[in-house]
Amino acid sequence: MVKLFISGFGTVGQGFVEVLGRRVDFFENRYGEQPIVVGIMDSKTVVTDPKGIDVGAAVAKKLETGSVGTEKYTDSVKALDSVDYDILIEVSPTNIKTGGVGLVNITHALECGKDVITVNKGPLALKFQELITLARKNGCKFRFEGTVGGAMPIINLCHENLKGEKISSIRGIFNGTCNYILSKMDKGQPFEQALKEAQQLGYAETDPTNDVEGYDAATKVVILANSVFGRNVTFDDVKITGIRGITTDAIDQAAAHNMVIRLIGEISDTRLEVAPRLIPVGHPLSIAGTLNIAQIDADLAGPITINGHGAGKIETASAILSDLIAIMDMRY
Amino acid sequence: MLLSAELYVKDLPGQLVGSLEPISMVDGNIIGVVHDREKLVNQRILVSVTFEVADSKKLEELKRIWKSRDVIISEMGSVYQTITREFMMVGKFNAAYIENLLDEAGSIVRLESADVSYASKNQSNDKRTAMITAEVRTKEELEKLDEFFSEACRKDDMLYIRGL
Repeated sequence: MVKLFISGFGTVGQGFVEVLGRRVDFFENRYGEQPIVVGIMDSKTVVTDPKGIDVGAAVAKKLETGSVGTEKYTDSVKALDSVDYDILIEVSPTNIKTGGVGLVNITHALECGKDVITVNKGPLALKFQELITLARKNGCKFRFEGTVGGAMPIINLCHENLKGEKISSIRGIFNGTCNYILSKMDKGQPFEQALKEAQQLGYAETDPTNDVEGYDAATKVVILANSVFGRNVTFDDVKITGIRGITTDAIDQAAAHNMVIRLIGEISDTRLEVAPRLIPVGHPLSIAGTLNIAQIDADLAGPITINGHGAGKIETASAILSDLIAIMDMRY
Repeated sequence: MLLSAELYVKDLPGQLVGSLEPISMVDGNIIGVVHDREKLVNQRILVSVTFEVADSKKLEELKRIWKSRDVIISEMGSVYQTITREFMMVGKFNAAYIENLLDEAGSIVRLESADVSYASKNQSNDKRTAMITAEVRTKEELEKLDEFFSEACRKDDMLYIRGL
C-alpha cells in the first residue's frame, strides 16, 4: 500500500484528494488497492493517521475552520517525520526568492529516501541540480510535471515520448494570467484595466508582480532548461522582460501588421529568455485566453505543439496524478 | 549555394533533359525551370533554371559536365534568400532617433530593406511606438541586428519586442 503525505492543503492539495476519490476504480483495477493519505499539513497545522486519513473530512475541516489539523507545528520537518510515508506530495505555495518551506520539505524527504512529487516551482527554479542529485544519490523518484504548464504534459512528453529526439528549442506561453491580460488588450482594454479584470476573476494575485513581470514564466523556463535540455541554470540566468510596459499603441500597431503580442518563454542553445514577442495571427503561439501552449522543435519529429490549462484545481491535480501513477507503476 | 543559370541547348529532342540531368549528377536540387522555345538563337533554345548545389566544387563539376554535353551557359548568378523580421520599440524617442539607429544598424549588418511605422495615439504619456520591418540575408545577420536593437533599447530604457 502506497502511503502519501501531502504538504500544502490549499486549492491544489484539496484538488488532488478530490482526484484520488474520482479514480478509486482506476487504482483498484491497476494495482488492486488504493494509495492512502497518512499525513496532511497546511501552513500551521498537521494531521496524521498511519491507517489513512478520511480526506473528505479533512477537506471539510479545512473549509470550515481554515486549518486541516488541530495540532499546530513550528517545524515542518518534524511534522513530516511524525508518520511513516512513501511519497511526499509537495504543493505548498511557491516562493521564488528562497524556495520557502517547499524546498525544506522536498530536501528532507529526499534525504530520508522518500519519493517526491511537486508542483512547487520555487525549489526547482532555485536548486534544480542539487535536488536531482540528491534524489539520484538516495534512489528516489522525483517528479514535477505540474510545475510547468499545469495540466499540459510537457516534461513527461519530452522525457518519455520524445526520448530519441534532439530537441533544439522550446518556445511557449507559460503564464495564463499574462496571456489573459494581453488577449484583453487585443480587444482594446488598456493594461491596468485588463489586469484589474484578471484580478477580479481570480486569475491574477492582488500583487501581480510575479506574473506581469515575467518571473513566474521564468521559473518554468529554468525548469525546462534543466530537465529537458540538461542545462545547469537558475532563475538569475534568465533574461526577463515583463508585459507592464506594453501600451495600447503597441497592441494596435502589432494588429495593423496582422500580429499580436504574447509573453513567450524560450529555451534554445542561444536563448534563455522570457519576453514579449510579436506573433503572427494564426500562429499556434498567438492563442488567446488563459491557456498555456508550447512548441517543441525536435530534429526528427519537427515542430510539436501542445496546449492545455496552465492552472486550476483539478487541472494541476491531474499532473500530480500522472506522476503518482508513473511512480506506482515502477513500484508494482 | 542557390544559383540561377540561363542555358542554351540544341533544339533537338532530349536536349532539355540532357541539360537538367547534370544537376542531379552533382547531387544538386532543381528549384525551378523555364523552357522558352520562343527565344531561339543559332538553332538553340533558352532554358532558365534555378538550382542548389552544395559548394563551388560541385558547381565547377556541373559546369564541366554541361560543357561536355554542348550546353552553353550564357549567364549565371547567385540567388540569395532574405529573412524579414519585425522589431518593435516602445519608449520616449523621436523619428530622428530611429533613423540614426537604422544608420548604425546598417553599418553592422547588410540591411536589404528597412521600413518604419510609428504610432503615438496615446496622449496620456509621451511614449511612442516604432515598428521596424527589416530584411537581411542570413540568420547570423539577423541575430546581430537583434542584439544591436536589444542593447540600444536596454541602454535607452525602451521596451523591445521582437518578432518570433
